[in-house]
Amino acid sequence: MTQDLRPPWDEDPDDLYEHAPCGYLTTLPDGTIVRVNQTFLSWTGYARGELVGHRRFRDLLTSGGQIYHETHYAPLLRMQDEVHELAFDLVCADGRQLPLLVNSVLARGDTGQPRAIRTTVFNATERRQYEKELLLARQIAEASERRVRVLQQIVADLAAAPTEAEVAEAVVRAPESAFGAASSSIYLVDDERDVIYAVASTDPTTGNWDDMPRTSERAVARVAERGDLHVVGSVAEARKHFPDLVENMRRSGRNTVVLLPLTTGPTDEHSTLETLGVLAFSFKGERKLTDGELRVVRLLGQQSGQALDRARLYDELRRREDRARFLAETTRSLDELHRLLPRTRRLIDRVVPEIADWAEIRLQVGTPPLVEQGGGPRPDEELLTQRLGKVAASGEPVFAAEGDQLDCSVLPLTARGLVLGTLALRMTTNRRGIAAEQAFLVELADRAGLALENARLYEQERQIARTLQRSLLAGDLPGGDSRFAVETHYQAAAHDLEVGGDWFDAFMITKDKLAVVVGDVVGRGIEAATTMGQLRSAVRALASNATGPAELIGGLDRFVERVESARMATVAYVEVDLADGEIVYSCAGHLPPLLQEPAGSPEYLLQGRSAPLGSKAGDKVRTEHRRRLPAGSRMLLYTDGLIERRTRPIDKGFELLAREYARRRDAPLQGLAATLADTLVGRDHSDDVCMLCLTLGTEERIERTIGADRMQIALLRADLRAWLVAHEIEPECRDAVLLACSEAVANAIEHGYRDDPFGMIDVVATATADAVEVRVTDRGTWRGAVSDVARGRGLQLIRESMDQVLFDRSDGTTVTMRRSRREAG
Amino acid sequence: MEYTRGGRPVPRGDLERWVTFSKFGDAELVSLTGEIDLANAPEIGKAIVQRIEKAGKVLIDLTTVSFLDSAGVRLLDALIGDLNDHGTPTRLVVGATGAARMTLQLCAFREDVLATDLDRAAAEISS
Repeated sequence: MTQDLRPPWDEDPDDLYEHAPCGYLTTLPDGTIVRVNQTFLSWTGYARGELVGHRRFRDLLTSGGQIYHETHYAPLLRMQDEVHELAFDLVCADGRQLPLLVNSVLARGDTGQPRAIRTTVFNATERRQYEKELLLARQIAEASERRVRVLQQIVADLAAAPTEAEVAEAVVRAPESAFGAASSSIYLVDDERDVIYAVASTDPTTGNWDDMPRTSERAVARVAERGDLHVVGSVAEARKHFPDLVENMRRSGRNTVVLLPLTTGPTDEHSTLETLGVLAFSFKGERKLTDGELRVVRLLGQQSGQALDRARLYDELRRREDRARFLAETTRSLDELHRLLPRTRRLIDRVVPEIADWAEIRLQVGTPPLVEQGGGPRPDEELLTQRLGKVAASGEPVFAAEGDQLDCSVLPLTARGLVLGTLALRMTTNRRGIAAEQAFLVELADRAGLALENARLYEQERQIARTLQRSLLAGDLPGGDSRFAVETHYQAAAHDLEVGGDWFDAFMITKDKLAVVVGDVVGRGIEAATTMGQLRSAVRALASNATGPAELIGGLDRFVERVESARMATVAYVEVDLADGEIVYSCAGHLPPLLQEPAGSPEYLLQGRSAPLGSKAGDKVRTEHRRRLPAGSRMLLYTDGLIERRTRPIDKGFELLAREYARRRDAPLQGLAATLADTLVGRDHSDDVCMLCLTLGTEERIERTIGADRMQIALLRADLRAWLVAHEIEPECRDAVLLACSEAVANAIEHGYRDDPFGMIDVVATATADAVEVRVTDRGTWRGAVSDVARGRGLQLIRESMDQVLFDRSDGTTVTMRRSRREAG
Repeated sequence: MEYTRGGRPVPRGDLERWVTFSKFGDAELVSLTGEIDLANAPEIGKAIVQRIEKAGKVLIDLTTVSFLDSAGVRLLDALIGDLNDHGTPTRLVVGATGAARMTLQLCAFREDVLATDLDRAAAEISS
């Protein structure tokens, strides 16, 4: 018995057709379905009766498919009689779309007329799915590539960002370009203050920008603490985990927030990661981040963290460099000023505003203490006083702390273990790196303390030198002798220099011999002042009736061998025989005296010259020169400060001095030296000036010219008085002449020159055995009789005190007054 | 620093060189010294007026004045006038000879306010 096996080829052709693994359709050339197999019906859900004879193939297609049918399928089929693998979406009975691949063959009749179209239909659902996946995968790959590109760009930006601020700026832009975030913000961790603070945001209207403690419950602080990425997927999630976000998310319409810690440290060891900041970015609408995106986000966190770390190191380095430079420059700048007050002022000016908005230095030197401050506003006085006292007492600095009411740091200024004073300051901003900042302030205070202590010592030494110099220069000079008069003037350099070594002296060798000397010691300060004193004493000791100037200078040379600091000092030394008016002079390297005889031009005394004291290379043969001077001669001894200017050759200086001296030949002796110094060097002089002016003998007639200045009347009177005394005019007559002359000059000033402050008044007085005659001349304007009561009294005094008074008003006013030397009537 | 023997033009504001104030018994004593002239009289006058405005008695001592010009006389004249108007007993003490006496005499200054001795002048205005 055999069981018949049905061979495959023996299959029922109908069944094969109906249940083939593909759909079969036969249609008329116009597409009307005439035959369809069961497979097709099963796939599409149509009943045979619905299709056959009723529908065209194209009627089953989607509208897009129908157009494609029209434009491609039908024309191709007509031209080629067959089409292959055309994709259509068919609308099933239940409205579902079924992706199909369609092959068709056009059968023609004997005459070539289209007879029927046979179509096989393959279900392409899975293939289409696969294609879609491929497309999606490509899109994902592209998105990922775009993110990587964005990330690369950011990494490049980060590498080029040298400061924390620039890193923050680069990072905060990343989420928008890489992930399409709506906005993002960056927060940084401040280790020293133990807070997290916001630094940048692409949308400052969102979020909370207050500093938060690192232990805060806020989402940013929590994520920073955990050091791991956190995605808040929805408002509901936020409500659950981070309630502080809810309000902001709602207000700004955000549904997803990503909190990314910015970390640094080895990537493999999670435990040692340090969180330097947090990048927060958010999306409108709920946004799912793919694994790939999350990986990129994490990478961004690491890259940013490293960049921040690097920038912090740079920042730190730069700040340290800045601080070092500031300290060096401050020290150098303080060195430029020697005196205490300017140096203190300079320190304040360095500190404000560069590192502090207010600063005060208080130095316990003298009472009251020296206080200098700059900037503002001043802090609370009471709190400050307390802190100042505490620091001064302990010698330890007190720094402004967080939440400090005073908000000022106070540092002791110390030198050699003693607290000299305090430096108080309020820093401009709350800087990072408080420990480094404090170290910097301590170093600043150390340097300031030393610089100010040096200035204080300098000040002390300077004071001693000044006192010494003053005591030497202001000692008693001979006077009260009608045969001569000495006038001296000393002015120190304007620019706070140490005392110089310029000096003068005048003394009687015998009762008929006067010595005058002006000298200049090399150097400045206390040593120069001391040397000057020694030299002055040596001159006095060496001078005697028997030795002349040359021998005296030789003696000084030997003195200098023992007193090294006097080497190369210069001296102009003159001895005057008051009995016969003969002078002998010698100049050791010093500028030549300037002589003005009553008649003629001024001349420099150029003989008797030799090298400075103790000179090793110069001409040490000491010589002297002798000359007889007529009564009324004036001689000026001076130091180089009077004529030397950096801006002009010394010849010009000599010329100028001679000219100005000649111009004042008729000026009263009193005030002459000071006036000359004013004219030649002014107030802004860089060197000391020392002058000695000697007038010899008694002039037969005195001629003076003064400016129309009431201050000058007393100077004129002094000369006139000396002249009257020298001529042994009786006191009563003398007083009368002085009064009348004063009134006449006052009259010229107040009346004749009332509108001309530059007018000049000439006064000439002559004395005979019988009488004194004085003539006062001005070139002012005569304005008619004097009506002023006060001036009227002046004129009355002139008339009452003199015997004869004559007014001549032909050219200005000349008053000629005469008083008999005998008892007036 | 600057110092000059013989002097520069008279510095202003340095009035103690010419005028000082003290008490002599119950009287305000104004001591003038040196040269009083056009250059310093106005400033000296101001200083004195400020000081003696409320004084009950005033003594002005001129014994060490070495020069007095018409501006000085004007100053004294105004002072005495004002003090008189206020009924304040006043004396000018001035040496019997000397520059100040000469000037005052030449101006015919009121003799009744002049005295030559400080003690006597003080006694006069006390009685």
